[in-house]
Amino acid sequence: MKERSKEDSSPRVFPWGDTLASGLAVAALALLAGFVSLPLLSLVVWTIDRGAWQAITSPVAVDALLLSARTTVMTMAILLVMGTPAAYILARVNFRGSRVINTLIDIPVVLPPSAAGIALLLAFGRLGLVGQYLNVFGVTVSFTTAAVVMAEVFVAAPFYVRQAATGFGAVDRTVEEAAMVDGADRWRRFFGVTVPLAFPALVAGALTAWARALGEFGATIIFAGSFRGITQTIPLAIFAEFQSDIDAAVALSVLVLGFAFAVILAVRYLTARSTGDRG
Amino acid sequence: MNLRVHLCLLAASMSVIVLVGLTGCGQGSNNSGPGGGGKQQGGTLTIFAASSLIDAFGELGKTFEKQNEGVTVKQSFESSSTLLTQIQQGAPADVFASAAQEEMDTAVKDGLVAGDPKVFVKNREIIMVPKDNPADIEEFRDVANPGVKLVLAQDDVPAADYALQILDKANAEYGDGFEKKVLSNVVSREADVRASVNRVVVGDADATFGYKSDYTPDIRSRVKVVPIPPDLNIIATYPVAALKDARDPELAKKWVELVTSKEGQRVLKKWNFEPAA
Repeated sequence: MKERSKEDSSPRVFPWGDTLASGLAVAALALLAGFVSLPLLSLVVWTIDRGAWQAITSPVAVDALLLSARTTVMTMAILLVMGTPAAYILARVNFRGSRVINTLIDIPVVLPPSAAGIALLLAFGRLGLVGQYLNVFGVTVSFTTAAVVMAEVFVAAPFYVRQAATGFGAVDRTVEEAAMVDGADRWRRFFGVTVPLAFPALVAGALTAWARALGEFGATIIFAGSFRGITQTIPLAIFAEFQSDIDAAVALSVLVLGFAFAVILAVRYLTARSTGDRG
Repeated sequence: MNLRVHLCLLAASMSVIVLVGLTGCGQGSNNSGPGGGGKQQGGTLTIFAASSLIDAFGELGKTFEKQNEGVTVKQSFESSSTLLTQIQQGAPADVFASAAQEEMDTAVKDGLVAGDPKVFVKNREIIMVPKDNPADIEEFRDVANPGVKLVLAQDDVPAADYALQILDKANAEYGDGFEKKVLSNVVSREADVRASVNRVVVGDADATFGYKSDYTPDIRSRVKVVPIPPDLNIIATYPVAALKDARDPELAKKWVELVTSKEGQRVLKKWNFEPAA
């Protein structure tokens, strides 16, 4: 932003250095765009070429898609309910140890998912720190859909909480205070003023968190195991099918590509409409 | 068609750019080791072996490096079915050691193998349960008990194929929907046999099918073996072969010789495999 305004104010001349620099930038962009789109295109080309379409509707694929949809919806529900107030506190309250908690929440972002899976297993597995007590009460988490959701929440939470906290932090406090003066109570202030103002950040955070949950592989396969319809989400199904039927693995990849694309488009459309309504 | 050609060209040039640009070692792997200057010796032998071979082949790899000075042995242990897929996709392997004939037969049929594969060991399956045996599995039949958390390797992994064959035989003998009951106890399908054994080692699964050779010393304090009746068990045969695209066919052949030699057989026997002959 800053650079652009600087450029605007200076006279527009194009010395050789600038042309070269912008040429390199364009080339870099083209290379990067090609590097990203080529593998995606290859997926589609392979699917058309080998007629792998019917694999998209195979029971394995359908079960995996439904499970992925179900678990990521549950993950998002948990994240919105727990993550939103947590993010608000992180953004607004400066309590003792808030820095430690801030760092702690970010750790799953840098932790390799497989390490997260081992950590979850050692905590909630049957012989785990917590798991052994759960087991006494007849509760076992491993190999259940709940374990999949736990893995997804673990890896996706930071993406939502971080962006939501940044969003809340950017909300002008004077607007909130004005609402208080107008007689709004805390709840109405939060939902009527703060949340709408932070809305774009909340949506962006939710979207990245959802994408992370959808792609979750390492923690899930280690902590939850892999079983059709129970714990085998799309990434796990792709991994399983790759070992026996490549066409099916490719078809599943195309399926998840389309699914992710549809969700992103839908969210973009809905947020554009809702912010448009307000403005 | 035209589109595909263009894509291939694009992909090829892109990968060249990326590889050369990022790693700068297009040929590095072939003549790595600056010390090997004057001598013809050296090189790398890459072995793709069934995951059940991890301990025995790990030991034999060291033997091989001692016998062939300057040679580095690299090994990849996964399920035979995964390894086959990787070899079919052009993975740079010199030797393939499979836990079942089926994968090797496919490799031969696809023209990936040099010469004839040799069966070098045999193996049998066992049931493994955690030491504290939470599901009270005292004999093989008990894996059909309701509520047992059974873990199997994935479809097409030899260990799972053998397990299904065993269940098929057992079904004929025990009747009463034995196979169905056992299969309804399955809670997870793991990438390979060692992954499913590890589910028992960490105590999350009540039982799994593994090979006799998977009951290694380092897991004995945590795992108990429940034998499978001999008349229901199978004999797993392990073939090994040098691959057609081996970078050094001589080295690949030498590995097959080592594995079938007296020394090789001694090591394999030490790790609970049965001799092939």
